[in-house]
Amino acid sequence: MQIFNEIAVLLGKEIKLEWRNKYAISGILLYVGATIFIVYMAFIEMEPVTWIILFWIIMLFASINAVVKSFVQESRSRQLYYYTLVNPTALLTAKIVYNTLLLLLIGFLTWGGLSLFVGNAVVNTRPFLLAIGLGSLGFAVTFTFISAISAKTDNSASLMAILSFPLVIPILVTLVNLSKNAIEPLASEGVQSDINLLIAIDLIVVGMSLLLYPYLWRD
Amino acid sequence: MGNISWWKWLGVALIIYTFTAGMLVPLQHGIVEVTPRSARTGEQVTVELTGYNCNYDQQSESLKAWLKLDEEKTLGASSIEVLGPRRLAIGFDLPAYLPVDRRVQDFSLILESKEDGTAILPTALLVTQDSIDPEKGIALWVNTAVNDLTVSTGMTFPFRPIIYETIRNTYFHVALWLSMMLLFIAAVVYSVRYVRNPMPKWDSKARAFTSVGLFFGILGLVTGMVWAKYTWGQAWSNDVKQITTAIALLVYLAYFILRSAFEDPEQRGRISAVYNIFAFALLIPLIYVIPRMVDSLHPGAGGNPAFGSEDLDSTMRMIFYPAIIGWALIGAWIANLQYRMDAVREEWIERLD
Repeated sequence: MQIFNEIAVLLGKEIKLEWRNKYAISGILLYVGATIFIVYMAFIEMEPVTWIILFWIIMLFASINAVVKSFVQESRSRQLYYYTLVNPTALLTAKIVYNTLLLLLIGFLTWGGLSLFVGNAVVNTRPFLLAIGLGSLGFAVTFTFISAISAKTDNSASLMAILSFPLVIPILVTLVNLSKNAIEPLASEGVQSDINLLIAIDLIVVGMSLLLYPYLWRD
Repeated sequence: MGNISWWKWLGVALIIYTFTAGMLVPLQHGIVEVTPRSARTGEQVTVELTGYNCNYDQQSESLKAWLKLDEEKTLGASSIEVLGPRRLAIGFDLPAYLPVDRRVQDFSLILESKEDGTAILPTALLVTQDSIDPEKGIALWVNTAVNDLTVSTGMTFPFRPIIYETIRNTYFHVALWLSMMLLFIAAVVYSVRYVRNPMPKWDSKARAFTSVGLFFGILGLVTGMVWAKYTWGQAWSNDVKQITTAIALLVYLAYFILRSAFEDPEQRGRISAVYNIFAFALLIPLIYVIPRMVDSLHPGAGGNPAFGSEDLDSTMRMIFYPAIIGWALIGAWIANLQYRMDAVREEWIERLD
């Protein structure tokens, strides 16, 4: 299948690009580290529920900063060059996969950093791992798609926040609800419905963005 | 007048019908309050009752009242004295023992009136037993069957405690919200058409329907806040339903900000259509799924039953469904005016160039 080859090549390109200049990844690492340290200095000790909420807020802002560059960073002429070579769906899929991996990394780093400074509030690991996985996918797809939209405008950074924050709230609310199961030794009854809802929302955003991107890219 | 289409007349007629019938049809006969709310077994209790939409002093001999324990056991009133057009004093001889093995038993009060119809107040009276003996209670119980209930024949709305007259807001708050969904669906359909075939009129229609939908959404939120003020105690109580509604309105406000960011009409049309479709897909879990999973005061959320099955009787349906259609048609008319204005503006710009 040609499209899978294209995705693999584009994904390799994204990772290679990241590895060569290390600018974005080190910036994000520093961002996460600094935020965790600020949170630590402000709270010192915190309730497990506060821990969960702060985790997702750090995750939200780190993600939006990590993903916003995916389309903005590349010049229009280089994007035109890509479109002459590959299928637009392959381009979007590669960016989504790359951003999901990046957000997974950010998620685990935030978890590790918070555990190091503030202490680990997670008792029940399975729902929390699921939340990080499904949350990374949902955030990555939504932010990648919205960054593709906002990259078309002159004022992309502020438009990115205006467009994407209301849209990720369903994902964020469900993630916080799901993660609250992680601070209790036993998961509550509603855990399965939260997981189902997250999977459903992730499928909706993946489906819609793959369906709509071919209409978005051409200028 | 010849160039106004039939559906616009229909919309106006339905809205006039909604306002007149929705505001003028009276509520059923109901019981606002009774005092005292509690009694002890073996005593003779006199309950003072305040009614609603009733005229007791015209029909003192036809009044009947019962305390209802369950489907089979009811206790008739020993005396009924009319204190005023809306006030009654009803005497009950409570037996020394109740036929239940509970310390405190709640009774519903049924009040029958030939002219006004039957009124029921659930959990009207709590009776405390001094000592529990269900067998003696069964032996002592004098059952008075509930019979000859009058079903009021006129057009009335259900009488519900706490809601009372605000039940009329169903035709505005709920109907506006449902017709907002219809307008947003119409906008998404036009966005899809624009994406598939970029003609300026599809974009203009999508924008018009979205703006009217947003306006109806704001009206729905405001009418909901007015209702919340009377039933929940305050207009804004950070209920999940209110928060998700506010977020949904933010999503659509962002649509207009996105549109204003483009100069080129083709690019603006295409990208805002793509955003509109994407946003609508995420709106479904936001306003229909999440409120059902979180605690909420709103009907149809947090495990509460949706306002409908029980509260929406056949009289209300006769106004509720036309109200939805009427609001949707009025919304479509406003949208129609907007995109025709757009077309005229385009034409003049072309002519002036």
